[in-house]
Amino acid sequence: MNLKAALGRSRTRGEADVNIIGVLNLFLILVPFLLLTAVFVKIAVLELSLPAAGRKGGVATADKPAILNILAVEEDGFQLNSPYMSHAKLPRVGESFDYKGLQDQLKAVKAKYPESEDIVISPASSILYEVIVKVMDTCREAGFPNISLAG
Amino acid sequence: MNLSSESTGWQLFPTRRRSRTGSFTLRLTSMIDMFTILLVFLLKSYSAEGQIMTLARDLRLPQSTATLPPKTTSIVAITREWVLLDGRPIVRNSEVLKSGELVIPSLLKELQDLRALTEGIGQLGAASDFAGNITIQGDRATPFELLKRVMVTCGRMGYNDMNLAVLRTE
Repeated sequence: MNLKAALGRSRTRGEADVNIIGVLNLFLILVPFLLLTAVFVKIAVLELSLPAAGRKGGVATADKPAILNILAVEEDGFQLNSPYMSHAKLPRVGESFDYKGLQDQLKAVKAKYPESEDIVISPASSILYEVIVKVMDTCREAGFPNISLAG
Repeated sequence: MNLSSESTGWQLFPTRRRSRTGSFTLRLTSMIDMFTILLVFLLKSYSAEGQIMTLARDLRLPQSTATLPPKTTSIVAITREWVLLDGRPIVRNSEVLKSGELVIPSLLKELQDLRALTEGIGQLGAASDFAGNITIQGDRATPFELLKRVMVTCGRMGYNDMNLAVLRTE
């Protein structure tokens, strides 16, 4: 009986409303402000330094006898060369290079020479910039942050 | 109450309904939902420092997992058709690839002027001294031959610290 009476009363008085005008005002100001300051394209940089006064990178880094890993990027695949290790050539499958296999090989080198951090990437003339950047990413992730390019 | 319908000749709401409820409320729930989603999305893409680097137009940067923020340096852009220095077209890509030499003469001359200018400003006592920094924005389909020639030219003029601009992916 009591419930029915309460229900009946609430219906006659109408539903309660939350006052949302303040929130709405806040949104109307915040949304244009954030839209103006939003950055949709995030740009980062890859650092690459040539040996000072030298033209090409690569073999010229003779000042420290570090373990020299050379990664040749050819049209038909990757070939990694590191001292006292022989790596299989990683062939290109269709359009895509074998980044996964490269990562495994680099990890093997890292396991054998943990202090080695240098790698020289030597792409062929026709290799696209996109591929080079991806190879550099792969090398950095595998623990070779000192990357130089040789042409 | 009936003023609007009499003066304009059409009714927004039927008169009977209007007189029964007296006032009406806007249903704002879905609009607030939308605003909330928009707000969260925009807060996520908010960045306090803004964009330092401007991108050349005819250019798609490669994607990378690099995280280093860009610096304010001069920019060599290799678009699909031109090599630009700070937005000024210097030489066509096809001309660079046609020539047999490794150094690009026109770009070398522009870089020389730029270096002289930077060093001149440095001598006047301003904060910026010549540090040999340069940013290279390359289109993702640039062949390495072109990139190599641009880099060799930059290195020849003393710009040894090169930053390759990339799009950051999470």
